[in-house]
Amino acid sequence: MISVRQQSFKLLGFLDVKNVPCARESVLYGSLGSLVVGLGHFLATSRVRRSCDFAVGGFICTMLGYWFYCRYNLAQQRIRQRMLKEGMRNKMLFEGSSFDPEKKQTGNERSNS
Amino acid sequence: MANHSQLGFQDASSPIMEELVEFHDHALMVALAICSLVLYLLTLMLMEKLSSNTVDAQEVELIWTILPAIVLVLLALPSLQILYMMDEIDEPDLTLKAIGHQWYWTYEYTDFKDLSFDSYMTPTTDLPLGHFRLLEVDHRIVIPMESPIRVIITADDVLHSWAVPALGVKTDAIPGRLNQTSFITTRPGVFYGQCSEICGANHSYMPIVVESTPLKHFEAWSSLLSS
Repeated sequence: MISVRQQSFKLLGFLDVKNVPCARESVLYGSLGSLVVGLGHFLATSRVRRSCDFAVGGFICTMLGYWFYCRYNLAQQRIRQRMLKEGMRNKMLFEGSSFDPEKKQTGNERSNS
Repeated sequence: MANHSQLGFQDASSPIMEELVEFHDHALMVALAICSLVLYLLTLMLMEKLSSNTVDAQEVELIWTILPAIVLVLLALPSLQILYMMDEIDEPDLTLKAIGHQWYWTYEYTDFKDLSFDSYMTPTTDLPLGHFRLLEVDHRIVIPMESPIRVIITADDVLHSWAVPALGVKTDAIPGRLNQTSFITTRPGVFYGQCSEICGANHSYMPIVVESTPLKHFEAWSSLLSS
């Protein structure tokens, strides 16, 4: 599926966050998660070193967590798009013919009434 | 085809290539997570004073055993899914034979008519304006779009490889062996590829061009060629 390509911005030189679906949001949510977890831990314990460790862990977990969630939804959306496309094409192909499912439904309704 | 200085994949024109691009994005995201962790640990190590006090490291050894196992599972599962998906053979609508020679391809459509032609690269001196250097051929493969196509690939002399990046296809052409691959093009268009196994002096000059068209145009083309 072709989408309009923006100028790429590659994080660490390889991940194009502008053109890869879900990448930008994952990194942003990851950063937010890192801030929340790190800051929260520091406010609770006043331990700088351990808070930094938690911040990095929070970044990785939040980023990957949102990534899987977003990609799963994207995959479901793609499946629905394909089914819709197939359904529209079949409707156009079979409309009025003996294979038309709407015709069969109408026929069933008439025979029931 | 690829633009000049293009590093990324070409736009996917088959369902398998779409899956491969998605897997590639997934693998890069996992790589980003690992690189972030490694960068952080490296920074920590560089700031730390060296000491020889460590005698036991049970916890960290557990972590650096379990985490890589998790990473491998995250990468292996989608990879295997695509691997098996690539091996599925739907009943193909058309079977095409591609035979590699030094240094051109021969294509045979033998399903319904005995149709066979050679495909040579168009030399740069004969290239019309606006056409692509080292990629155009005199006779393209024409296939119907949105139909499963099976390609049987072999070679006449030395090893070659039939590759079309936009369709996610690359299969070796081995003399005395028939290799099979299949694909479906999701949209009409012209897709370029090049021989991908070193085969002599003109290895770079035997491109592959696949033209995907609606069925009625494909029928018109095949009737024209076989008459």
